[in-house]
Amino acid sequence: MTNGLDVPPGTDPLLVDLDQFHGPLDLLLHLIRKQDIDIFDIPIARITQQFLDVIGEMGRLELERAGEFIEMAATLVRIKAQMLFPRRDDEESDDPRADLVRRLLEYEHFREVARALERAERDRLRFHPKGFVEARPRPSLADAPLETEWDELWEAVLALAERLDEPEPSYQVQGRLVRIDEKIEQVLRMLSEQQRVEFAALVAPWGTRMHAVMSLLACLELAKRSTLRLRQASPFAPLWLYRREEEPDAA
Amino acid sequence: MRHSRLIEALLFASEAPLSPADLARVDDGLDEEQVEALVAELKQEYDDAERAFTVFEIAGGYQILTRPEYAPVLERYDTVPLSSRLSTAALETLAIIAYRQPVGRAEVEDIRGVGAGGVLKTLLERDLVEVVGRGEGLGRPLLYGTTRYFLEHFGFRSLEELPRSDELAVILAQKQPEPDAT
Repeated sequence: MTNGLDVPPGTDPLLVDLDQFHGPLDLLLHLIRKQDIDIFDIPIARITQQFLDVIGEMGRLELERAGEFIEMAATLVRIKAQMLFPRRDDEESDDPRADLVRRLLEYEHFREVARALERAERDRLRFHPKGFVEARPRPSLADAPLETEWDELWEAVLALAERLDEPEPSYQVQGRLVRIDEKIEQVLRMLSEQQRVEFAALVAPWGTRMHAVMSLLACLELAKRSTLRLRQASPFAPLWLYRREEEPDAA
Repeated sequence: MRHSRLIEALLFASEAPLSPADLARVDDGLDEEQVEALVAELKQEYDDAERAFTVFEIAGGYQILTRPEYAPVLERYDTVPLSSRLSTAALETLAIIAYRQPVGRAEVEDIRGVGAGGVLKTLLERDLVEVVGRGEGLGRPLLYGTTRYFLEHFGFRSLEELPRSDELAVILAQKQPEPDAT
């Protein structure tokens, strides 16, 4: 990564592309260092002129960036004006350039730190932690072909229904008749919220065989109407209901 | 199970550096000093066997990383090359925050002579800097500092490892006699 100082050999150090510079201090430092100017004795008139020449070319810069360069130009012009006033010898500390020099040195210091950080970063990137090489993506269940027979499906549902029957609640309340259209509505509601629903999750809230059977009938009815798709990876594996998008191939 | 193997299991399974305190929690009978000895042992074991990885000290902890000579091979598998490299503006801003922390946005902007809003946002998003407090003065400005991840990103053990001013002076001195490009 270049930082503006690496002008190709044979070119004028004053011929610069402003986009290379990370602000007015960066540009100013470039002008000073490229011409071997003593930073503690900057020829303000010359540098100001060069600086103005460079930013004079920058019509295409966006306003915010331009403002930063113009502010620096104003500072330079002000210093230049102050230099024209006669100074007494005992007023050395009042060199109008002093504050600019301090800022330039400070910025140059941090620019060097930034370069050191860049080297550290480059070195660090040669050490790799676990996980650097990404795991192979797993094929998603949705892409798997359907290989389930209806018999297997039934078997799985019956096994599930049996399981649901076992921990019979100790208090028996008169069960209300479960209606298939109620179940259909429930399935449709769940599938409108999620792409897919596991059958076990569908029947889990109701622990009776009646609910499981009516849920299954609802699913089969919806599958017949092509509103959903049933999938099971293998016998006794979880049974999944998929929302069926508008596509012709049958489940 | 041997303590050294417990340490090895933790270091292997972790994607970020683990501090001696993190590692010592694996067993009641372990203190941080013993952990450090065990890690050194493990590192020696990997070095002797010339494994492709070993234990590195980083951000105040330990992490198993591949050795740098394997980087070119691994990089062929990189799906997002160079994604983690920072821009010059980000590096300069980080340099200022690292040395001057806690530091406000105004000081950062003053030193660089350019606006810092966008860069600071990026650095916050990447967890390289964080808000560490509020300053005195007008509007009680937010103050920023570097994070632990900052050390991790640059591979420093601690902030002490930041390049020091006298080392930088050497770099500057070497740069001075650079021949003019004309």
